[in-house]
Amino acid sequence: MNALPATGRLTPGALLRPPYARPAAWVFGTLLGLLVVLPALEVSIDQTLIRATPFILTGLAVALPARAGLINVGGEGQLLLGAVGATGVGLALPDTLSPVATLPLLALGGALGGLVWAGIAAGLYVGARTNEVIVTLLLNFVAVSVVAYVVHGPWRDPDSASFPYTADFGAGGTVPLLPGGTAHAGLLVALVAAVGVWLVMGRTRWGFRARVVGGNKEAGRRSGFNVSRTLVIALVAGGALAGLAGAIEVVAVEGRLRPAVAVGFGYIGFLASWLVGHRPLAVVGAGLALAAISVSGDNLQIDAGLPSTTVYILMAVVVMAVLGLRRRAGRQG
Amino acid sequence: MSLVEDVLVGAVRQGSPVLFATHGELVAERSGVVNLGTEGSMLCGALAAFATTVATGSPLLGIAAAAAAGALPALLHAFMVVDRGANQLANGLAIFFLGLGVTAALGSSLVGRQINGLGVAPIPLLSEIPFAGPILFAHDVLTYLALLLAPALWWFLYRTRWGLVLRATGERDEVPFAYGHSPRRVRYLALAAGGALAGIGGAQLALAITLTWVEDLTVGRGFIAVALVIFAAWEPLRAPLGAFIFGGALSLQLQLQARGVGISPFLLETAPYVLTILALVVLSSRAVSRMPRGLSAVFAGAQRA
Repeated sequence: MNALPATGRLTPGALLRPPYARPAAWVFGTLLGLLVVLPALEVSIDQTLIRATPFILTGLAVALPARAGLINVGGEGQLLLGAVGATGVGLALPDTLSPVATLPLLALGGALGGLVWAGIAAGLYVGARTNEVIVTLLLNFVAVSVVAYVVHGPWRDPDSASFPYTADFGAGGTVPLLPGGTAHAGLLVALVAAVGVWLVMGRTRWGFRARVVGGNKEAGRRSGFNVSRTLVIALVAGGALAGLAGAIEVVAVEGRLRPAVAVGFGYIGFLASWLVGHRPLAVVGAGLALAAISVSGDNLQIDAGLPSTTVYILMAVVVMAVLGLRRRAGRQG
Repeated sequence: MSLVEDVLVGAVRQGSPVLFATHGELVAERSGVVNLGTEGSMLCGALAAFATTVATGSPLLGIAAAAAAGALPALLHAFMVVDRGANQLANGLAIFFLGLGVTAALGSSLVGRQINGLGVAPIPLLSEIPFAGPILFAHDVLTYLALLLAPALWWFLYRTRWGLVLRATGERDEVPFAYGHSPRRVRYLALAAGGALAGIGGAQLALAITLTWVEDLTVGRGFIAVALVIFAAWEPLRAPLGAFIFGGALSLQLQLQARGVGISPFLLETAPYVLTILALVVLSSRAVSRMPRGLSAVFAGAQRA
């Protein structure tokens, strides 16, 4: 029964203690910093909150499986399939349905899309031992083509000319807004998801099992946990969160599916989660900070005529600074 | 030419840039470092080659510039991973973003320019062999180089002292250290060489295939290379097969589109990626057991951020 290594202090007590040190400091520090910096840089706070939503959700899509020892680079594709799922539901639902029924169904469609996409990688991981890093990454490229296919093909709005898109399914106007602004309430979904992931990983039996498996698969197996099932659930739950982000982008931001929906958002979420060592509450702070950079990049694009991808330079520098500095501070992810 | 012949010629042609990048990633991973920034190195190489060729008219200068431009992001990866202890996967992705952003900004004025690029240099006699001749021996010079690199790398890894040090560094770096070699220096050199090879792959893409520059020219070929290294089980002699499977899928898709087959081009586009995943599925369980020991911690997610 002695499943855990004899050396070190890996006792059940140590495992139960949530390993997310000082996430509140991260969130509040980031918020305070942004409140000072954003108006000075003339970056719209509403735009930042809107942009942060997909970053936080795709960040959580990385953080949750990472706790179980899986690296999900597929947030981009899972988000896109979520967008496809939500669009499918939106086009199928009758216009007359009340938003109280429509919005949850759209969200469900998105979550399912992301879940299925992550499920492919999860199934191949436990079934054929394929590396989940590579498979989730390659599926992103497939997902881009899937979106292009449905937009150019079966779901194309006949009115769209050289830049095709799907029909507007009219849910955009029904999305509630955050009080006191023009930002949609998707951010609340992301916040609830962050707290949810934090609670599940730190306070539930399943979260405990996932963290044991993430620390040492053999220890999980010898403790009688179903390791494969735990890993599959962790990855598809992450996919569902990314899919939710796709649904929010399509429903609340775009109103319809376009081929260039949310380009790169999933990758930025990946960086957000690594920035904070996969601590779910801290992902909120990282998502907000990266959103501020991203929105200021939009301004740069408009003001200086630079391509929109230029903002990735800034993003990469910030992330590498944090990744490289952390070792010096002697902290562990 | 028949469809089969067209597809096979295209498989070698389209597979060759990926083969360069696969060779490069293989060298890096043999030293115990995964470099997802290979995609960024390819992009930097492609832009450097294209810009140099536009400015000087010489594709050869372009290739030299590409090797240097590809090595730079890889050296940054080496610094971050080896000296700063950054997580390899996260930092590799950041390097990719850096390459994507830098090449998009620097290359925006080159969009729409045309170059002559690398011409086809058929090998006399060999290229006249029926069927096999045009497939293997009627390409640009870089394609031959990519093919020759497979046995050359094998020889380097298994028949030279430096190859032994490289392999030992990827397996258990305390062993070469005990023999007076610096694992740090080996990893820097391996990553720089790998980045240079990826840069040359990018150069071939720009100078021999697209002949134009657009943002994100490589669309994931560098990531495919990372997958193909696993497919090849870290063996240089197996790398060409994987690269040509990918190239074949790409070439089949282009040929079918050109011939107006009634399948959506967007669905055909997925074929190279899906095929690469399938190739991994078939070979993974065998390949994983041959993974350099230094990499298992990275891929298992155990390496701390």
